[in-house]
Amino acid sequence: MTWTDEELVARSIGGDNDSFNELILRWERPIFALAYRTIGREEDARDVCQETFLRAFRALPGFRGQAKFSSWLYRIALNLCRDWIRRERRAQLVQAPETVDIIEMAAALEPSETVEDLVTRKDLARVVERAMANLPEEQRTAIVLKEYHGLTFQEIADLVGCPLSTVKTRLYQGLTVLRRELAKSGTS
Amino acid sequence: MTDWACTFENRDDVIVGYLYDDLEPRARLAFEDHVVGCRVCRTELEDLRGVRADLAQWAPPEPARVLAFDPRPRRGNRVWAALADVPVWLQVAAALLVVGVSLRAANLQIRIEREGVTVRTGVTAPADRAPQPAEAAAARPVAEAPWRADLAALEQSLRADVQKASLQLRSDADQSRADRSDEALLRRVRALIEASEQNQRRELALRVAEIARDVQAQRTADLQRIQRTFTVLETNTAGEIVKQRQLWNNLAMRVSQQQ
Repeated sequence: MTWTDEELVARSIGGDNDSFNELILRWERPIFALAYRTIGREEDARDVCQETFLRAFRALPGFRGQAKFSSWLYRIALNLCRDWIRRERRAQLVQAPETVDIIEMAAALEPSETVEDLVTRKDLARVVERAMANLPEEQRTAIVLKEYHGLTFQEIADLVGCPLSTVKTRLYQGLTVLRRELAKSGTS
Repeated sequence: MTDWACTFENRDDVIVGYLYDDLEPRARLAFEDHVVGCRVCRTELEDLRGVRADLAQWAPPEPARVLAFDPRPRRGNRVWAALADVPVWLQVAAALLVVGVSLRAANLQIRIEREGVTVRTGVTAPADRAPQPAEAAAARPVAEAPWRADLAALEQSLRADVQKASLQLRSDADQSRADRSDEALLRRVRALIEASEQNQRRELALRVAEIARDVQAQRTADLQRIQRTFTVLETNTAGEIVKQRQLWNNLAMRVSQQQ
């Protein structure tokens, strides 16, 4: 039987740690992806992800279900990312992770895709990553939440605590900057 | 940010809403009507769709299991968790040992005399002092009692058991610690080897991909060079043919004039 997030939360509050582990299994990948795309470093993203779940666990008794569990989790993760960015403000965010994910990409190769395509795709991903890292934090967050996590504009506004129109403006500005940067690098 | 050439109301918001399919049907229709006649918006929409397609290529690395989560507070439970692994007989032996040590610390003395049983605890006179004659006289019959030997034997046996159990416990604990340490070391070495192999595989795949790309680039360049050479040859040959043809024509004209 598959429990909903809310049911698992209720069971976790009742002391069932397996339920909380189930929530972790369900959400660790999206939270890690959010952290990775926001702060740009794999190791730190993992730390943020871990801290997010620890904080969530500690704060679980206070969770009254006014928001969706996922939104609540996203908010914790985003706050942690912001803290991290504040701490690391001096450091550039353009540092790419050390590992090259060519194996995973190769595993996802279409039969018709050539090695040339594969390398092009990898290069493109790097260019996108670099362009995203150069965006202001608010624009990057808006793009990540919309593009990769499929949140509605209203959900993003609630999460980051700003008006709906601001979210749209940030998204538009971010995409426009990306459009210019990607065109400069010859990818679009 | 809005392009000055287009004055559509709330253009930036509407473009974003349209791009992410998040517009009211009426607003959507109005914008679609506008886009048909507005080249600026059409181009921008197309470009932003391209940006979205590029964004889709950026995948985060696969997270190695971020958490192995056991949120229970551990400090208090660690002792009991460790004890759960110890066999029952060892636990009993340990308990006996504790009782024995406690009795020794309390300096418990039990004497059975004619008047009855005497139990004493705490600090008393040194044991090796010479017994007073009256005490010796009173104690003699007790010392000669037949169960005295049995009691001494039982005490000896208990002491031996407790000592043996204590040694066993210590040795088991050492062994278990060593096993765990070996196991952890082995796990770490395996993980390191695995990570190293994975890095090598990635490195190899990257090198192969780069070589393939270089070969492909070289091949393309060679083909272009060959193509250029052929073009030059063709041009030269064509020129030569034209010249030959002119020569033949001249010769033919001369021959016909001479005739």
